[in-house]
Amino acid sequence: MKSVTVDENRCEGHGLCQDTAPDIFELNDDGVAVVLHHPIPPALTRQAEAGVRVCPVAALRIAES
Amino acid sequence: MPTIPRYPDDIWTDEVLLDPHPHYRALRDLGPVVWLDAQQMYAVPRYTEARAVLGDAGTFCSGQGVGLNDMVNGIGAGTTLMSDGQLHAHLRSVIGPGLTPRALRSMRGTVEQLAAERVARLIQQGSFDAVADLARALPLTVVPDLVGWPAGGREHLLEWAGAAFDLLGPMNARAQRAGPKVQEMLEFAARTAADGSLLPGGLGAAILEAARHGELQPAQVPPLIVDYIAPSLDTTISAIGSAIWLLATHPDQWAALKADPALIPNAFNEAVRLESPIRAFSRVTASDTQLEGYDIPAGARVIVLYASANRDEREFGRPDDFDVSRTNASAQLGFGYGTHGCAGQGLARLEGQAVLQALVDQVEAIEPGRPVRALNNLINAWASVPVTVHPTRHAAAAGA
Repeated sequence: MKSVTVDENRCEGHGLCQDTAPDIFELNDDGVAVVLHHPIPPALTRQAEAGVRVCPVAALRIAES
Repeated sequence: MPTIPRYPDDIWTDEVLLDPHPHYRALRDLGPVVWLDAQQMYAVPRYTEARAVLGDAGTFCSGQGVGLNDMVNGIGAGTTLMSDGQLHAHLRSVIGPGLTPRALRSMRGTVEQLAAERVARLIQQGSFDAVADLARALPLTVVPDLVGWPAGGREHLLEWAGAAFDLLGPMNARAQRAGPKVQEMLEFAARTAADGSLLPGGLGAAILEAARHGELQPAQVPPLIVDYIAPSLDTTISAIGSAIWLLATHPDQWAALKADPALIPNAFNEAVRLESPIRAFSRVTASDTQLEGYDIPAGARVIVLYASANRDEREFGRPDDFDVSRTNASAQLGFGYGTHGCAGQGLARLEGQAVLQALVDQVEAIEPGRPVRALNNLINAWASVPVTVHPTRHAAAAGA
Protein backbone atom coordinates (compact mmCIF):
# COMPACT_ATOMS: atom_id res chain seq x y z
CA MET A 1 0.00 0.00 0.00
CA LYS A 2 1.09 3.57 -0.50
CA SER A 3 1.93 6.34 1.93
CA VAL A 4 1.89 10.08 1.47
CA THR A 5 4.44 12.42 3.05
CA VAL A 6 4.39 16.19 3.44
CA ASP A 7 7.58 18.25 3.23
CA GLU A 8 6.59 20.72 5.95
CA ASN A 9 9.35 23.13 4.96
CA ARG A 10 7.96 23.41 1.45
CA CYS A 11 4.26 23.35 2.34
CA GLU A 12 2.82 26.86 2.18
CA GLY A 13 -0.78 25.98 2.95
CA HIS A 14 -2.32 26.71 -0.47
CA GLY A 15 -4.82 23.96 0.20
CA LEU A 16 -5.16 22.58 -3.32
CA CYS A 17 -4.49 19.11 -1.93
CA GLN A 18 -7.41 19.46 0.48
CA ASP A 19 -9.64 20.79 -2.32
CA THR A 20 -8.74 17.91 -4.66
CA ALA A 21 -8.50 15.07 -2.12
CA PRO A 22 -10.52 16.02 0.96
CA ASP A 23 -10.55 12.40 2.20
CA ILE A 24 -6.73 12.41 2.31
CA PHE A 25 -5.58 15.94 3.18
CA GLU A 26 -6.51 18.59 5.69
CA LEU A 27 -4.81 21.85 6.57
CA ASN A 28 -4.23 22.02 10.33
CA ASP A 29 -4.48 25.15 12.47
CA ASP A 30 -0.99 26.15 11.40
CA GLY A 31 -2.05 25.98 7.76
CA VAL A 32 0.18 22.95 7.12
CA ALA A 33 -1.08 19.93 5.16
CA VAL A 34 -1.77 16.84 7.24
CA VAL A 35 -2.33 13.35 5.79
CA LEU A 36 -5.42 11.69 7.24
CA HIS A 37 -4.62 8.01 6.46
CA HIS A 38 -1.42 6.01 7.07
CA PRO A 39 -1.13 4.04 4.84
CA ILE A 40 -3.60 5.10 2.11
CA PRO A 41 -6.54 2.67 1.82
CA PRO A 42 -6.51 1.15 -1.71
CA ALA A 43 -9.90 2.67 -2.52
CA LEU A 44 -8.48 6.16 -1.91
CA THR A 45 -5.20 5.73 -3.80
CA ARG A 46 -6.44 7.49 -6.92
CA GLN A 47 -7.65 10.48 -4.94
CA ALA A 48 -4.37 10.57 -3.00
CA GLU A 49 -2.34 10.58 -6.23
CA ALA A 50 -4.41 13.46 -7.58
CA GLY A 51 -3.93 15.42 -4.37
CA VAL A 52 -0.17 14.84 -4.39
CA ARG A 53 0.07 15.84 -8.03
CA VAL A 54 -1.81 19.12 -7.65
CA CYS A 55 0.48 20.66 -5.00
CA PRO A 56 1.78 23.84 -6.65
CA VAL A 57 5.08 23.78 -4.76
CA ALA A 58 5.69 20.01 -5.02
CA ALA A 59 5.62 19.52 -1.25
CA LEU A 60 3.91 16.11 -1.39
CA ARG A 61 5.18 12.62 -2.19
CA ILE A 62 3.44 9.28 -2.57
CA ALA A 63 5.37 5.99 -2.47
CA GLU A 64 5.07 2.35 -1.52
CA SER A 65 5.30 2.12 2.24
CA MET B 1 18.03 10.44 -32.34
CA PRO B 2 15.27 12.64 -33.71
CA THR B 3 15.97 16.19 -34.84
CA ILE B 4 14.21 18.84 -32.83
CA PRO B 5 11.57 20.46 -35.04
CA ARG B 6 12.02 24.16 -35.83
CA TYR B 7 9.33 26.84 -35.78
CA PRO B 8 10.06 29.77 -38.08
CA ASP B 9 7.47 32.35 -36.98
CA ASP B 10 8.29 34.96 -34.34
CA ILE B 11 5.64 34.46 -31.64
CA TRP B 12 6.54 37.77 -29.99
CA THR B 13 5.30 40.14 -32.68
CA ASP B 14 2.39 42.46 -31.81
CA GLU B 15 0.14 40.45 -34.07
CA VAL B 16 0.88 37.16 -32.37
CA LEU B 17 0.71 38.59 -28.85
CA LEU B 18 -2.87 39.65 -29.65
CA ASP B 19 -3.79 36.13 -30.81
CA PRO B 20 -1.14 33.60 -29.82
CA HIS B 21 -3.24 30.46 -29.48
CA PRO B 22 -3.15 29.25 -33.10
CA HIS B 23 0.65 29.46 -32.89
CA TYR B 24 0.72 27.66 -29.54
CA ARG B 25 -1.38 24.86 -31.01
CA ALA B 26 0.95 24.61 -34.01
CA LEU B 27 3.91 24.40 -31.63
CA ARG B 28 2.25 21.67 -29.58
CA ASP B 29 1.50 19.73 -32.74
CA LEU B 30 5.10 20.11 -33.89
CA GLY B 31 6.57 18.28 -30.91
CA PRO B 32 7.24 18.06 -27.16
CA VAL B 33 10.40 20.14 -27.65
CA VAL B 34 10.72 22.72 -30.41
CA TRP B 35 13.37 25.19 -31.56
CA LEU B 36 12.15 28.75 -31.97
CA ASP B 37 14.12 30.19 -34.90
CA ALA B 38 13.26 33.78 -34.06
CA GLN B 39 14.49 33.60 -30.46
CA GLN B 40 17.17 30.94 -31.12
CA MET B 41 16.00 28.98 -28.06
CA TYR B 42 14.24 25.72 -27.23
CA ALA B 43 10.65 25.74 -26.02
CA VAL B 44 8.32 23.24 -24.38
CA PRO B 45 4.76 23.99 -25.51
CA ARG B 46 2.93 20.96 -24.06
CA TYR B 47 1.64 20.46 -20.52
CA THR B 48 3.59 17.29 -19.72
CA GLU B 49 7.02 18.63 -20.62
CA ALA B 50 6.34 22.08 -19.16
CA ARG B 51 5.46 20.49 -15.83
CA ALA B 52 8.44 18.13 -16.03
CA VAL B 53 10.86 20.99 -16.67
CA LEU B 54 9.41 23.08 -13.85
CA GLY B 55 9.55 20.08 -11.52
CA ASP B 56 13.24 19.38 -12.19
CA ALA B 57 14.93 22.52 -10.89
CA GLY B 58 18.23 20.68 -10.59
CA THR B 59 18.45 20.13 -14.34
CA PHE B 60 16.48 23.17 -15.51
CA CYS B 61 18.00 26.04 -13.54
CA SER B 62 16.76 29.52 -12.77
CA GLY B 63 20.11 30.86 -11.56
CA GLN B 64 21.19 31.98 -15.02
CA GLY B 65 17.97 33.91 -15.35
CA VAL B 66 14.43 33.07 -16.36
CA GLY B 67 13.95 35.93 -18.80
CA LEU B 68 14.43 35.65 -22.52
CA ASN B 69 17.44 37.93 -22.97
CA ASP B 70 20.90 38.17 -21.40
CA MET B 71 20.54 41.76 -20.23
CA VAL B 72 17.51 41.20 -18.02
CA ASN B 73 18.98 37.96 -16.73
CA GLY B 74 22.06 39.87 -15.66
CA ILE B 75 19.94 42.48 -13.87
CA GLY B 76 17.84 39.83 -12.14
CA ALA B 77 20.76 37.98 -10.57
CA GLY B 78 20.20 37.58 -6.84
CA THR B 79 16.42 37.70 -6.95
CA THR B 80 14.51 34.73 -5.57
CA LEU B 81 13.06 34.37 -9.06
CA MET B 82 16.47 33.83 -10.63
CA SER B 83 18.34 31.71 -8.12
CA ASP B 84 18.94 28.01 -7.45
CA GLY B 85 19.54 25.50 -4.71
CA GLN B 86 20.45 26.61 -1.22
CA LEU B 87 20.58 30.30 -2.11
CA HIS B 88 17.09 30.08 -3.58
CA ALA B 89 15.76 28.20 -0.54
CA HIS B 90 17.28 30.83 1.74
CA LEU B 91 15.87 33.80 -0.20
CA ARG B 92 12.46 32.20 -0.48
CA SER B 93 12.47 31.58 3.26
CA VAL B 94 12.79 35.38 3.68
CA ILE B 95 10.17 36.55 1.17
CA GLY B 96 7.83 33.55 1.16
CA PRO B 97 6.38 33.10 4.65
CA GLY B 98 4.61 36.46 4.73
CA LEU B 99 2.65 35.49 1.62
CA THR B 100 1.37 32.04 2.58
CA PRO B 101 -2.39 31.59 2.97
CA ARG B 102 -1.78 31.07 6.68
CA ALA B 103 0.06 34.39 7.02
CA LEU B 104 -2.67 36.14 5.08
CA ARG B 105 -5.52 34.68 7.12
CA SER B 106 -5.76 37.76 9.31
CA MET B 107 -6.15 39.91 6.18
CA ARG B 108 -8.97 37.88 4.69
CA GLY B 109 -11.79 39.88 6.27
CA THR B 110 -10.27 43.20 5.25
CA VAL B 111 -9.70 42.11 1.66
CA GLU B 112 -13.25 40.75 1.38
CA GLN B 113 -14.64 43.97 2.79
CA LEU B 114 -12.60 46.08 0.35
CA ALA B 115 -13.94 44.02 -2.53
CA ALA B 116 -17.53 44.32 -1.29
CA GLU B 117 -17.24 48.09 -0.87
CA ARG B 118 -15.70 48.57 -4.30
CA VAL B 119 -18.37 46.50 -6.01
CA ALA B 120 -21.12 48.31 -4.10
CA ARG B 121 -19.78 51.66 -5.37
CA LEU B 122 -19.49 50.40 -8.95
CA ILE B 123 -23.07 49.15 -8.88
CA GLN B 124 -24.13 52.76 -8.32
CA GLN B 125 -22.33 53.65 -11.56
CA GLY B 126 -23.75 50.72 -13.47
CA SER B 127 -21.20 50.90 -16.27
CA PHE B 128 -17.46 50.83 -15.60
CA ASP B 129 -14.15 49.36 -16.73
CA ALA B 130 -13.57 46.03 -15.02
CA VAL B 131 -9.80 46.53 -15.35
CA ALA B 132 -9.28 50.17 -14.34
CA ASP B 133 -12.11 50.34 -11.80
CA LEU B 134 -12.22 46.84 -10.29
CA ALA B 135 -9.30 44.53 -11.16
CA ARG B 136 -6.77 47.20 -10.18
CA ALA B 137 -8.58 48.20 -7.02
CA LEU B 138 -7.62 45.41 -4.66
CA PRO B 139 -4.00 44.87 -5.70
CA LEU B 140 -3.27 48.60 -5.66
CA THR B 141 -4.90 48.97 -2.24
CA VAL B 142 -3.63 45.78 -0.64
CA VAL B 143 -0.14 45.19 -2.02
CA PRO B 144 1.59 48.53 -1.37
CA ASP B 145 0.46 48.43 2.27
CA LEU B 146 1.33 44.76 2.68
CA VAL B 147 4.85 45.35 1.41
CA GLY B 148 5.09 48.71 3.11
CA TRP B 149 6.08 50.94 0.19
CA PRO B 150 6.67 54.50 1.31
CA ALA B 151 3.84 56.81 0.29
CA GLY B 152 6.08 58.67 -2.14
CA GLY B 153 6.93 55.55 -4.11
CA ARG B 154 3.58 54.15 -5.11
CA GLU B 155 2.48 56.03 -8.21
CA HIS B 156 5.00 54.31 -10.49
CA LEU B 157 4.61 50.72 -9.28
CA LEU B 158 2.23 49.66 -12.03
CA GLU B 159 4.25 51.05 -14.93
CA TRP B 160 7.48 49.68 -13.46
CA ALA B 161 5.97 46.21 -13.20
CA GLY B 162 4.74 46.36 -16.80
CA ALA B 163 8.18 47.49 -17.92
CA ALA B 164 9.83 44.66 -16.00
CA PHE B 165 7.69 42.08 -17.78
CA ASP B 166 8.39 43.66 -21.17
CA LEU B 167 12.11 43.55 -20.41
CA LEU B 168 11.84 39.89 -19.32
CA GLY B 169 10.76 38.94 -22.84
CA PRO B 170 12.94 38.65 -25.93
CA MET B 171 15.08 41.73 -26.62
CA ASN B 172 12.69 43.22 -29.15
CA ALA B 173 11.66 46.87 -29.56
CA ARG B 174 9.15 46.57 -26.70
CA ALA B 175 11.85 45.29 -24.34
CA GLN B 176 14.23 48.02 -25.37
CA ARG B 177 11.64 50.73 -24.73
CA ALA B 178 11.15 49.32 -21.23
CA GLY B 179 14.79 49.79 -20.25
CA PRO B 180 14.57 53.30 -18.74
CA LYS B 181 11.51 52.45 -16.61
CA VAL B 182 13.19 49.32 -15.28
CA GLN B 183 16.22 51.43 -14.43
CA GLU B 184 13.94 53.76 -12.39
CA MET B 185 12.54 50.74 -10.58
CA LEU B 186 16.02 49.46 -9.71
CA GLU B 187 17.02 52.89 -8.42
CA PHE B 188 13.88 52.96 -6.28
CA ALA B 189 14.72 49.52 -4.85
CA ALA B 190 18.30 50.58 -4.08
CA ARG B 191 17.15 53.86 -2.49
CA THR B 192 14.52 52.10 -0.38
CA ALA B 193 17.04 49.52 0.79
CA ALA B 194 19.54 52.22 1.74
CA ASP B 195 17.25 54.72 3.46
CA GLY B 196 15.09 52.08 5.17
CA SER B 197 11.96 53.95 4.19
CA LEU B 198 9.82 50.83 4.03
CA LEU B 199 6.94 51.07 6.44
CA PRO B 200 7.40 49.11 9.68
CA GLY B 201 5.57 45.80 10.02
CA GLY B 202 5.40 45.19 6.28
CA LEU B 203 6.95 42.45 4.21
CA GLY B 204 9.59 44.85 2.91
CA ALA B 205 10.63 45.77 6.44
CA ALA B 206 11.07 42.05 7.13
CA ILE B 207 13.73 41.95 4.42
CA LEU B 208 15.59 44.83 6.09
CA GLU B 209 15.21 43.03 9.44
CA ALA B 210 16.73 39.87 7.95
CA ALA B 211 19.69 41.93 6.74
CA ARG B 212 20.10 43.58 10.12
CA HIS B 213 20.26 40.11 11.72
CA GLY B 214 22.92 38.99 9.29
CA GLU B 215 20.63 36.55 7.50
CA LEU B 216 21.20 38.55 4.32
CA GLN B 217 24.13 40.48 2.93
CA PRO B 218 23.32 44.18 2.35
CA ALA B 219 23.78 43.65 -1.39
CA GLN B 220 21.05 41.01 -1.34
CA VAL B 221 18.39 43.45 -0.18
CA PRO B 222 17.61 45.43 -3.36
CA PRO B 223 16.98 42.33 -5.53
CA LEU B 224 14.55 41.00 -2.93
CA ILE B 225 12.71 44.30 -2.97
CA VAL B 226 12.47 43.87 -6.73
CA ASP B 227 11.02 40.38 -6.08
CA TYR B 228 8.13 42.16 -4.40
CA ILE B 229 7.62 45.02 -6.85
CA ALA B 230 7.60 43.30 -10.18
CA PRO B 231 5.22 40.34 -9.92
CA SER B 232 2.65 41.49 -7.42
CA LEU B 233 0.43 43.80 -9.45
CA ASP B 234 0.15 43.22 -13.21
CA THR B 235 -0.26 39.50 -12.82
CA THR B 236 -3.11 39.64 -10.32
CA ILE B 237 -4.79 42.52 -12.16
CA SER B 238 -4.61 40.46 -15.34
CA ALA B 239 -6.16 37.41 -13.67
CA ILE B 240 -9.02 39.38 -12.14
CA GLY B 241 -9.73 41.33 -15.33
CA SER B 242 -9.73 38.10 -17.33
CA ALA B 243 -12.00 36.33 -14.84
CA ILE B 244 -14.57 39.11 -15.04
CA TRP B 245 -14.44 39.19 -18.85
CA LEU B 246 -14.85 35.40 -19.02
CA LEU B 247 -17.85 35.47 -16.70
CA ALA B 248 -19.39 38.39 -18.61
CA THR B 249 -19.03 36.57 -21.94
CA HIS B 250 -20.16 33.15 -20.65
CA PRO B 251 -23.58 33.71 -19.04
CA ASP B 252 -24.04 29.99 -18.45
CA GLN B 253 -20.84 29.88 -16.39
CA TRP B 254 -21.89 33.02 -14.51
CA ALA B 255 -25.19 31.30 -13.73
CA ALA B 256 -23.37 28.19 -12.51
CA LEU B 257 -21.22 30.35 -10.22
CA LYS B 258 -24.24 32.23 -8.85
CA ALA B 259 -25.97 28.90 -8.18
CA ASP B 260 -22.93 27.46 -6.41
CA PRO B 261 -20.49 30.08 -5.07
CA ALA B 262 -18.34 27.27 -3.66
CA LEU B 263 -17.06 27.03 -7.25
CA ILE B 264 -15.35 30.44 -6.93
CA PRO B 265 -11.86 29.05 -6.18
CA ASN B 266 -12.12 26.66 -9.12
CA ALA B 267 -13.45 29.43 -11.35
CA PHE B 268 -10.48 31.62 -10.52
CA ASN B 269 -8.08 28.75 -11.31
CA GLU B 270 -9.93 28.18 -14.60
CA ALA B 271 -9.58 31.88 -15.50
CA VAL B 272 -5.83 31.75 -14.80
CA ARG B 273 -5.60 28.59 -16.92
CA LEU B 274 -7.33 30.12 -19.94
CA GLU B 275 -5.77 33.55 -19.83
CA SER B 276 -2.40 32.68 -18.22
CA PRO B 277 -1.21 36.10 -17.00
CA ILE B 278 2.42 35.10 -17.53
CA ARG B 279 2.93 33.71 -21.02
CA ALA B 280 6.35 32.15 -20.40
CA PHE B 281 9.59 32.08 -18.45
CA SER B 282 12.77 30.16 -19.23
CA ARG B 283 15.29 27.80 -17.66
CA VAL B 284 18.88 26.84 -18.52
CA THR B 285 19.99 23.20 -18.56
CA ALA B 286 22.69 22.37 -16.03
CA SER B 287 23.73 19.27 -17.94
CA ASP B 288 23.07 17.40 -21.18
CA THR B 289 19.55 16.09 -20.81
CA GLN B 290 16.69 14.44 -22.67
CA LEU B 291 13.01 15.22 -22.99
CA GLU B 292 10.82 12.63 -24.66
CA GLY B 293 13.83 11.22 -26.48
CA TYR B 294 15.04 14.61 -27.74
CA ASP B 295 18.56 15.62 -26.70
CA ILE B 296 19.05 19.05 -25.15
CA PRO B 297 22.67 20.09 -24.53
CA ALA B 298 23.96 21.59 -21.30
CA GLY B 299 23.75 25.37 -21.14
CA ALA B 300 20.70 25.56 -23.38
CA ARG B 301 17.91 28.01 -22.64
CA VAL B 302 14.47 26.36 -22.66
CA ILE B 303 11.32 28.50 -22.75
CA VAL B 304 8.40 27.14 -20.71
CA LEU B 305 5.23 28.29 -22.47
CA TYR B 306 2.69 28.32 -19.60
CA ALA B 307 0.02 29.85 -21.82
CA SER B 308 0.38 27.01 -24.32
CA ALA B 309 0.64 24.23 -21.72
CA ASN B 310 -2.55 25.51 -20.10
CA ARG B 311 -4.50 24.94 -23.33
CA ASP B 312 -2.93 21.59 -24.18
CA GLU B 313 -5.66 19.32 -25.51
CA ARG B 314 -3.57 16.35 -24.28
CA GLU B 315 -4.26 17.46 -20.68
CA PHE B 316 -7.47 19.52 -20.80
CA GLY B 317 -10.52 18.31 -22.70
CA ARG B 318 -12.14 21.12 -24.75
CA PRO B 319 -9.17 23.25 -23.73
CA ASP B 320 -10.50 26.56 -25.04
CA ASP B 321 -13.78 26.24 -23.10
CA PHE B 322 -14.31 28.28 -19.94
CA ASP B 323 -15.76 25.75 -17.49
CA VAL B 324 -15.99 26.79 -13.85
CA SER B 325 -16.71 23.16 -12.91
CA ARG B 326 -13.69 21.73 -14.77
CA THR B 327 -12.43 18.93 -12.54
CA ASN B 328 -8.74 19.40 -13.31
CA ALA B 329 -8.66 23.22 -13.36
CA SER B 330 -6.31 23.20 -10.37
CA ALA B 331 -3.74 21.28 -12.42
CA GLN B 332 -3.15 24.47 -14.42
CA LEU B 333 0.39 25.87 -14.55
CA GLY B 334 -0.38 29.60 -14.52
CA PHE B 335 1.24 29.96 -11.08
CA GLY B 336 4.14 27.77 -12.17
CA TYR B 337 4.97 24.52 -10.38
CA GLY B 338 7.60 23.12 -8.01
CA THR B 339 10.23 24.94 -5.97
CA HIS B 340 9.73 28.16 -7.93
CA GLY B 341 5.94 27.95 -7.88
CA CYS B 342 4.56 31.45 -7.41
CA ALA B 343 5.20 32.54 -3.81
CA GLY B 344 2.40 35.09 -4.11
CA GLN B 345 -0.32 32.77 -5.36
CA GLY B 346 -2.02 32.72 -1.95
CA LEU B 347 -2.39 36.50 -2.12
CA ALA B 348 -3.49 36.38 -5.75
CA ARG B 349 -6.18 33.82 -4.91
CA LEU B 350 -7.28 35.80 -1.87
CA GLU B 351 -7.73 38.95 -3.97
CA GLY B 352 -9.26 37.23 -7.00
CA GLN B 353 -11.71 35.16 -5.01
CA ALA B 354 -12.76 38.19 -2.94
CA VAL B 355 -13.68 40.12 -6.11
CA LEU B 356 -15.61 37.18 -7.55
CA GLN B 357 -17.42 36.67 -4.23
CA ALA B 358 -18.43 40.33 -4.10
CA LEU B 359 -19.76 40.15 -7.67
CA VAL B 360 -21.68 36.92 -6.99
CA ASP B 361 -23.19 38.48 -3.86
CA GLN B 362 -24.23 41.84 -5.31
CA VAL B 363 -24.61 41.46 -9.07
CA GLU B 364 -27.42 39.79 -10.98
CA ALA B 365 -25.96 40.05 -14.49
CA ILE B 366 -22.82 41.36 -16.17
CA GLU B 367 -23.00 42.66 -19.73
CA PRO B 368 -19.70 42.89 -21.60
CA GLY B 369 -18.71 45.78 -23.83
CA ARG B 370 -15.84 45.68 -26.30
CA PRO B 371 -12.57 44.84 -24.50
CA VAL B 372 -9.12 46.06 -25.52
CA ARG B 373 -5.98 43.92 -25.23
CA ALA B 374 -2.87 45.18 -23.46
CA LEU B 375 0.39 44.53 -25.30
CA ASN B 376 3.22 43.21 -23.16
CA ASN B 377 5.99 40.73 -23.93
CA LEU B 378 5.29 38.42 -21.03
CA ILE B 379 2.01 39.56 -19.47
CA ASN B 380 -1.22 38.55 -21.14
CA ALA B 381 -3.95 40.92 -20.01
CA TRP B 382 -6.85 43.11 -21.00
CA ALA B 383 -6.15 46.82 -20.96
CA SER B 384 -9.86 47.53 -20.71
CA VAL B 385 -12.99 45.41 -20.11
CA PRO B 386 -16.03 47.70 -20.25
CA VAL B 387 -19.02 46.15 -18.48
CA THR B 388 -22.49 47.07 -17.31
CA VAL B 389 -23.77 45.39 -14.17
CA HIS B 390 -27.30 44.91 -12.90
CA PRO B 391 -27.50 44.59 -9.13
CA THR B 392 -29.38 41.91 -7.26
CA ARG B 393 -32.53 43.22 -5.65
CA HIS B 394 -30.83 42.98 -2.27
CA ALA B 395 -27.81 44.99 -3.43
CA ALA B 396 -29.97 47.55 -5.19
CA ALA B 397 -31.97 48.07 -1.99
CA ALA B 398 -28.79 48.33 0.07
CA GLY B 399 -27.42 51.00 -2.24
CA ALA B 400 -30.60 53.06 -2.37
